[in-house]
Amino acid sequence: MTNPAEPNAGFMAKRLRLAGTLIIAGLVVEGASLGWNHPLSFVAFIGVGGLLMAVGILIYLVALVTPARDRRDHA
Amino acid sequence: MPTVAVFAVLVITVLIAGLVIARPAITVAREGKALAFLGLFIFPVVTAFLGVDNHVERSKETSFCLSCHVMGPYGKSLYVDDPAYVPASHFQNHRVPPNQACYTCHTDYTLYTGSIKAKIRGLHHIYAQYIGTVHQPIQLYHPFNNRECLHCHLGARNFEQGTTHSAIMDDIKSNQLSCVTSGCHDMIHNVSHLDQVKMWSPKP
Repeated sequence: MTNPAEPNAGFMAKRLRLAGTLIIAGLVVEGASLGWNHPLSFVAFIGVGGLLMAVGILIYLVALVTPARDRRDHA
Repeated sequence: MPTVAVFAVLVITVLIAGLVIARPAITVAREGKALAFLGLFIFPVVTAFLGVDNHVERSKETSFCLSCHVMGPYGKSLYVDDPAYVPASHFQNHRVPPNQACYTCHTDYTLYTGSIKAKIRGLHHIYAQYIGTVHQPIQLYHPFNNRECLHCHLGARNFEQGTTHSAIMDDIKSNQLSCVTSGCHDMIHNVSHLDQVKMWSPKP
């Protein structure tokens, strides 16, 4: 999936996959909680779904602002 | 926002995020970068806000309040067949929306409105219900505020022009004289006596 024209593509691809997976996992938890009208569903929404999504978004944003030189080091 | 609409936004978010996972190389192009930003940042944040709003709205439902075991008797008290029971008569005669019966009279309660402290109390209730100990009998944090009655009754003709209320209106409005503990409307949930009263069965 890496693009030879983009030396940092491997780093970004890994981070995008990780972030996307966490975000989708969070969305699945949030979706499940929306179908359950119970105080625990709100806790699951915020505490599990929200946390997974927040970590995923954070990984994505950090990857975006990571300087190209550091990306090569990590890749 | 309706749950269906929240689900629709959620599904769109999953599709975009799934596309980015399956084809991360698309983010090399400008359009791909924009799509990834939408799917991994904008849409998840929007979904989270819509979801919280949906959860808060649903937490106003009577069934939500009664989903905790400790609230069972209070739900049962809404079916007492005695007009002197203030919550029961309001619930049965639709003076409050039946599907938001608890919330209508307890609008300042925990997750609904109010301060961060009130939200933390709501989380404490969940902790007490599932891990800790529920103190019996449960009690309100503050004496019942006349404001909860007045937000419907204030301005109503039969309330404003009734001789009983008009004589003490200033004390009612200033909360000096409680509607529910003054001896006027003091038959509230009264859950300790539910086994001694006749219950109303709504026709299906």
